[in-house]
Amino acid sequence: MEPPEAALVPFPPGLTPELMPRHVAFIMDGNSRWAKERGLPTSAGHEAGYRSLREIVRLSSYWGIKVLTVFAFSSENWLRPKTEVDFLMRLFEGVIRENLEDFKRQGIRLCIIGDATKLPPSLQKLAMEAAEVTRENAVIELLVAVSYSGRSDIVQACQKIAQRVKDGTLEPADITEAVIEEELVTNCIINSPYPDLLIRTSGELRLSNFLLWQSAYSELYFSKSLWPDFGEAEYVDALSSFQQRQRRFGLRT
Amino acid sequence: MVHFGAYLFQLLHYFLISSGMLKKYRVLPLHKLQCLAIVVDSGEAVDTLRIRNLLRWLSSIGVKNVILYDMEGVLKRSESSLRRWLDLTLTFYDSSPLPNQDKMSLEFLSYSDGKEAIAKAASFLCSKYLEDNNLMGETREPVLSESDIAEALRIVGCSGPEPELLLVFSPIRCHLGFPAWRMRYTEIVHMGPLKSMNYGAVIKAIYDLSKKQQNHGMLLNLPPGVSIIILPT
Repeated sequence: MEPPEAALVPFPPGLTPELMPRHVAFIMDGNSRWAKERGLPTSAGHEAGYRSLREIVRLSSYWGIKVLTVFAFSSENWLRPKTEVDFLMRLFEGVIRENLEDFKRQGIRLCIIGDATKLPPSLQKLAMEAAEVTRENAVIELLVAVSYSGRSDIVQACQKIAQRVKDGTLEPADITEAVIEEELVTNCIINSPYPDLLIRTSGELRLSNFLLWQSAYSELYFSKSLWPDFGEAEYVDALSSFQQRQRRFGLRT
Repeated sequence: MVHFGAYLFQLLHYFLISSGMLKKYRVLPLHKLQCLAIVVDSGEAVDTLRIRNLLRWLSSIGVKNVILYDMEGVLKRSESSLRRWLDLTLTFYDSSPLPNQDKMSLEFLSYSDGKEAIAKAASFLCSKYLEDNNLMGETREPVLSESDIAEALRIVGCSGPEPELLLVFSPIRCHLGFPAWRMRYTEIVHMGPLKSMNYGAVIKAIYDLSKKQQNHGMLLNLPPGVSIIILPT
């Protein structure tokens, strides 16, 4: 199944459809800096960042990428000024509400990952509703990491495992990395649970506590563009770089 | 053509750095570099000569703690010979060893220190949980935190510092399964294959780290002269 408008978007020259990554992850960095450089409030940067995300989702679904995971809000971001945090929570809610019909129509399966307990109750409810409504969609899976941290993901997986041990359905001796993988929040992904390509914008060269476990074999691509400036040309560059490198896995994958 | 031009410019830049012609790279500020990790593609990790060269460079730069990682444990298997070689090198070739000068410490890691170690730590915590329940004669709910996992990793012998900088020597831009628990805020720099390693590139990566300002997602506008210390968990 492909999105209804896919035929209208030409496949970028220089890219090979067969070599496209199945799962791309983004650390969407640079919204605040983008706004600051233009003398705009931080909120304007986040709104511009949302427009960038919408375009990347559109292109990804046209180009046959099956999973997109984006780092929207980290556990550490709760320490930002309250006005900014409140604005972001309202923005997330508005974006989901505004796009839910489009998600259904375009075959986008939405899943919010992270520590939902910290989110405003209205956003928690909406996220669950959106996940339920788009559950059968199969064009592209969009995972939005909100209040997420890679370490916390590992901790909550171990917590669930401890619960299984308590319930008597698992022996401590039987805990392996495969058992942990079953309990990570990315386990909701149907297609490719781990990113083939992880892109970070704004010139920073670190994972910042994002998908620490899942990115072991991800091709890392660091773009100097700030997230609101990251568009089709930059995305094609990242995908070209990915395709040029012969993927070599180690002993285990 | 553009890429080739950029590549040549980069090589020239590295040459100027290593020859000492660029003043700002002569004295490296190492205050931000408590621990440096080197990730090597297992296929190239057998090249002991290059690994030794790399260690000699790092020692001469003044790096104090180095983690050597490759997935398949090739470097781990060379640990004793590399340590012996390093001791000899520092004893005989260090032109002006200072009294009580710390030697460069080495830690050798492989895939088993990453995901497998976390599975071991989880297994240990669950066994301990069952044991405690038996002792108390009551069933408590299991509650785990980051510090519990960190402590369990220490007990199973797989804990250690989080490196500030990770240099990847591999044909692919990928950290090749370096222990996930130990790289939250680590700067990752792809250095290309080990066979084309370059002293100037290593110097530049360390220099660039010293100029980095990490805000750990907080974006706080602090008054001048005020800084926040993030304590490791």
